[in-house]
Amino acid sequence: MHRLGGVGLAAFDRQQASQRSFAALSTALSQAQVEHLHAQLEQFRAALTRFATHHRAAIRRVPRFRHEFQQMCAAIGVDPLAGPRRGGWWEDALGLGDWQSELGVQIVDVCVSTRARNGGLVELQELVRLVSKLRGVEGGVVTEEDVVRSIKALKPLGAGYEVIDVGDGRKMVRNVVKELDEDQMVVLALAQEQGGRVDEELFVRRKGWAPDRARAALQNMLLRDGTCWLDEQDGLDGTGRAYWIPAAMQWDE
Amino acid sequence: MASSLSPYTVPSGFLLPSIHSAPPFFTQQPNPTTQATVTEQWTRLILSYARHRNLFTMRIEDAETTGGDWDEILRNERIRRRLLPSHLSYILSSMVSKNLASYEPAKQTRSVLLHWRLPEEWAEVLHEWATSTGQLNTILTFYEIMEPAIPSPLSGIPVPLLRNAIGVLGKTGRAQIISIADGEGVRFFPRSGK
Repeated sequence: MHRLGGVGLAAFDRQQASQRSFAALSTALSQAQVEHLHAQLEQFRAALTRFATHHRAAIRRVPRFRHEFQQMCAAIGVDPLAGPRRGGWWEDALGLGDWQSELGVQIVDVCVSTRARNGGLVELQELVRLVSKLRGVEGGVVTEEDVVRSIKALKPLGAGYEVIDVGDGRKMVRNVVKELDEDQMVVLALAQEQGGRVDEELFVRRKGWAPDRARAALQNMLLRDGTCWLDEQDGLDGTGRAYWIPAAMQWDE
Repeated sequence: MASSLSPYTVPSGFLLPSIHSAPPFFTQQPNPTTQATVTEQWTRLILSYARHRNLFTMRIEDAETTGGDWDEILRNERIRRRLLPSHLSYILSSMVSKNLASYEPAKQTRSVLLHWRLPEEWAEVLHEWATSTGQLNTILTFYEIMEPAIPSPLSGIPVPLLRNAIGVLGKTGRAQIISIADGEGVRFFPRSGK
């Protein structure tokens, strides 16, 4: 019996040889494991795809079913909308398009359904909140970044979807074909700070605007764009005139 | 200034939508698109509140004075706003044009009957009530339907709405108006077997 390592130069060869065989063994082992995992994944994928294909029509048509399906996917850690970004086979199974444009559809859904009250302007954070609610997946799944990226993807459609920086790090999403001038950006930023309510005097005092300029900016938003609402019962005597920007108000439904 | 708009439950148990806490909701909007949203929201609110309280009539007067049936929705004391009579008048005329209300009496615009159930729906409620209270094939006066001894879903229903409902039932042979000594009555028949 000699020592495992032995002595002399031959020992190096032996050690290297055994290291090689250990390495080979471990490679074989992990390969087997990986193959096993692949097989399992394949099975799981097949089952899920079968389910998705089988219920495809219902998933796409019945909101409740879609919601349940999304909940189920969330529980097992699969994003039902994941397309090329992670996986890529969902597109074949569901025909839902990739994750990003699907999120885009949900963004459009929220924007269209709130447009009547906000005139096509919604605060980015509020949009993320509403989209997350629509998806019914536990928090953190959709981030501002996701939403911003999807909105960029929507831009070529020419429907006016755009993220607008109104200053002070505040972001709004415009979802109508409508240019916002600089004064309107100022109005939006200040309205967000004020919880939605502004009046002409506010801009005169805070921004040094002439009263006419303040009136023009607000009247444009009120009459031309529909992005602001009039209140004629403002103030202590209830006869004052104020403007409310729905996009800057927090709506709990 | 509160920036969060939340639903609010009034003493009668009715849940006001969040938009009722938005001050500009009470002002008639100069932008027609915006006003369309406001009108639609008020219409829904008025009809669902009427249904909740079993109210059939609304008058411009309800926005002019306090103490009426409609204070809970026409006013929001928490934000010191109220629906002005002129704005209510506009909303009611829009409801009449959509057949969600009708001026009653006719030829004036200060008072409406609210149609929070369609005539067809009232017809079913009416027939269901007559059946479940065992009053098929007997002659009932309008008064007996409108003011039943035991309160029913039809308690207080105005004559024009009742008449419409009977008309709907008449088309399928389930009711018939009958002249009686002191006015009119109605007789209900079982649903024809099919």
